[in-house]
Amino acid sequence: MTPSESKDGDRTTPGKNQSAIRNPQSAIRNWLRGRGALLTGASILTFFCLIAVFADLLAPYNYSSLSRREPFAPPATIRFRDAQGRWHARPFIYARRLVDPVTERYEEIMDRAYPLELFTRGYSYELLWLFPTDLHLFGARAEAGVEVPRVYLLGADKFGRDCLSRLLMATRYSLLIGPTGALLASALGVLIGGAAGYVGGWTDAVLMRAADMMLALPTLVLILAVRVTFPPGLAPADAIKLLLIIFVLLGWAEMARLARGLIRELRQREYVMAAVSLGCSPAHVIVRHILPGAAMSLAAQTLIILPAFLLAETALSFLGVGLQEPEASWGSLLTSVESNLFKRGHALAEFSPALAITLFVLGARLFGDGLGKEGREREKILGVADRKSA
Amino acid sequence: MLKLILYRLLQGVLVLLVISFLIFALLTRAGGDAVSMLDNPRGSDESIENIRRIHGLDRPLMERYRNWLAEAARGDLGHSFVLHAPVLSLIRLPLLRTGVLATVALLIAWAISLTLGIAAARRAGSPIDRLCSVIILLASSTPGLALALLALALISSTPLMNVIGATTNSSVGVWSFRVIPPAIILSVPLLALFLAQTRVAIREALDEEFVCVARARGAPEWMVLLRHALRPAAGPLITIFGLSLGGVMSGSVIVETVMGWPGLGQLTVSAVETRDIPLLLGVTLTAAAAVMAGNLAADILQRLNNPRLRNG
Repeated sequence: MTPSESKDGDRTTPGKNQSAIRNPQSAIRNWLRGRGALLTGASILTFFCLIAVFADLLAPYNYSSLSRREPFAPPATIRFRDAQGRWHARPFIYARRLVDPVTERYEEIMDRAYPLELFTRGYSYELLWLFPTDLHLFGARAEAGVEVPRVYLLGADKFGRDCLSRLLMATRYSLLIGPTGALLASALGVLIGGAAGYVGGWTDAVLMRAADMMLALPTLVLILAVRVTFPPGLAPADAIKLLLIIFVLLGWAEMARLARGLIRELRQREYVMAAVSLGCSPAHVIVRHILPGAAMSLAAQTLIILPAFLLAETALSFLGVGLQEPEASWGSLLTSVESNLFKRGHALAEFSPALAITLFVLGARLFGDGLGKEGREREKILGVADRKSA
Repeated sequence: MLKLILYRLLQGVLVLLVISFLIFALLTRAGGDAVSMLDNPRGSDESIENIRRIHGLDRPLMERYRNWLAEAARGDLGHSFVLHAPVLSLIRLPLLRTGVLATVALLIAWAISLTLGIAAARRAGSPIDRLCSVIILLASSTPGLALALLALALISSTPLMNVIGATTNSSVGVWSFRVIPPAIILSVPLLALFLAQTRVAIREALDEEFVCVARARGAPEWMVLLRHALRPAAGPLITIFGLSLGGVMSGSVIVETVMGWPGLGQLTVSAVETRDIPLLLGVTLTAAAAVMAGNLAADILQRLNNPRLRNG
């Protein structure tokens, strides 16, 4: 689907590799050439994975702890200069008071500054699901006998929950459901497509007709219909399981078509026929001889269909049938975005879940495109002639 | 051609049967129907059971499915539990509205992607070509949900709101300017898909020998592009058009809900929220049928465009 660009097709010419052996620095530069998209995508994805893993450390407050006196608090103003005009090396915030609950207007109380610090103590959690700790990356410095105000970098929602903490935890859920769904659906797709491509004949015809029909159906409508047949308020673990099952059952078709095309072509290669004639079992031939050649393209396709799964989860959570409150996912955070987005004056903070989705999808797309290019080049080496038909 | 249509109709009926049966089957193991959503503290268990009996919700699965199927075959998709009206009458207008929305979105996407795609295909690596790459990347990675929310906020901060803004008025005409913003948002992912395909298809067609011959013959450039290059390129374009229809329907659910266009997508969501199973079944099947009809149209177009396929 993506256009192939072959301006860096000379990457694998042997002459270059020889000079590269002599000069490791140019070898690295050579390798990097034409892989800009791949690397950018990889770094974006890594960034999000790190956030998901260390969400508890990065989040200053528990994502579900309420602060009833601060509904819709705007993002905190981090200051270096106090009301008297003095400069401070350590950033600080002022406490805020809700002046007008109707317009959600807040006023800073300038009598006392609350300095911020790195690595504060907060709620307890388990770092990497192993080490119990209560360390958090940043926060207002705790002081004895004083109620320290909360720092809202991205503001608070209608219950006074910290939006940044919720966004970080939402990353965890969204990154669990979307990519896992894509991975499982791809696995099923490869299985079905592999069977169709390898066995051929009647099986092939039936399976591929089914895949064509699946591709043509309005998936989101079907997902909604299936979701409704389950009780509305599901525990997070059950909701995740249900979403994954629905995604896998409805999402395998695209992968199956690609896998079938690839396997049908790779089957014709001499080394595969040699393996078959040696009497290897079909499973052995597929796993050891066919899949390694197709792996890169299949991985690229997984990444290309990944955004669809992520967006489906986002859509479901947005419509209120994905994860339930107080759990957060990128989609459910977006429900609080209203049409007065620009009048409230902190549109960027409020819109941050959407930006996170966009950035992640962009990363997946870049990485998938980059991997696809690698795969095409590998297939060129393996001698897959022309995959236009796949 | 007639064989194709008959075959596809048969296939379509089969798919609809499978979908409706699956939803019915899932319902048996599910707790909660529309009655459980009534949630009236004063209703005794007895009266709730009574309501279930009146609607036939206490019967076994196969019997309910058989009854539903028998009535659906006569064109009666049942009665909405919540809106108290025949499902068919509830679906008709929203279906038309979604049809208008999808048509406008497809027109926008095709107009832009054909213009830009042809311009980009003519010279690889030109500024327009690179612009296209950027557009494809951005349009394919921006989620429709985010775009829709942003567009809604933008529109509602301008006086245009009254003309093209969102509406909750379910009696809004099928033809209304309010379709424009949702259609633009819905066309964005399509644009990425179509533009990428147009660029590749036209570029391949321009490499063919008949294009070279046409140029050598002295045919003007517009004729080379529109008559000689576009015709063979139309094949893959029609294929991608057919494949995109399911996505259009899925996308319309989000776009219609966010941007307030009372079409089939919005009706689906409201049926989901109220757990109105007859309505939901009707909407799902209608959506699937509409998409399959669009696919059939794409197949017919394909055969009209390519004579080699006509006798297949």
